[in-house]
Amino acid sequence: MNAFTIGLLAGLAAVLLVAGIAKYRTRNRPMSVAAKAEYLSKRRARMLPALAVIFLSQQASFFSQMSGGEHVSAEQAKISAWLVLSAVMLFALATKGFWFERREVRDLVDDENTRANRNEAMRWGFLFAMGSAIGVYILTMFDTVTGREATHIIMSFGIAAAILRWGVLERRAHRSA
Amino acid sequence: MPERLANRLKERRAELGLTQAELAERVGVTRKTVNTVENLVFTPSATLAIKLAEALELSVEQLFWIER
Repeated sequence: MNAFTIGLLAGLAAVLLVAGIAKYRTRNRPMSVAAKAEYLSKRRARMLPALAVIFLSQQASFFSQMSGGEHVSAEQAKISAWLVLSAVMLFALATKGFWFERREVRDLVDDENTRANRNEAMRWGFLFAMGSAIGVYILTMFDTVTGREATHIIMSFGIAAAILRWGVLERRAHRSA
Repeated sequence: MPERLANRLKERRAELGLTQAELAERVGVTRKTVNTVENLVFTPSATLAIKLAEALELSVEQLFWIER
């Protein structure tokens, strides 16, 4: 099994672990659909900015490998874990999220305001991705940039910007008058 | 000054003795959405505006108006 596969599996395991912990924490808390949606919505508002920071801080692994890190296998594993996290975050942005919850809870937690915030976040993500693509294009005039590096930079900026913007909008929406 | 959709959601909700959560449950959204509409942070769709007006026993025109 190569380092990339180990990284992919580690990333998947981390995602399942986080989902399992979240589910376990609410196991003995009987809640109505509305109360559950409110709880999940607030938790999402708190988590999104933190997720964006964790996601961006992971980039150090990638750039340390670019500059010729010694433990190439370990770095490759981290990069493929990053790929899993990117895919999960992208999927969360594109769908209602909370995939392990009941349908009525998922529908309510993705109500009109949330959809508007999510769309605005996607717009930001697109603009940041395009901005970083322009940046990479300019960079190639002065230095060699591989396809993988370019993809990594564009995806990272696009996803992080969208997640961060979504978190900010959700927090603002939860704030009382 | 740009146009914006103002409303008397808060006043009417208070008149009926409803909390944001209760109103949200009546129209099938989260409390957060009611909060953002009340505070003019979010402009609701026509569907949601009609649902809110129905829940608050007013016409849409009585509940919402354009502020210039």
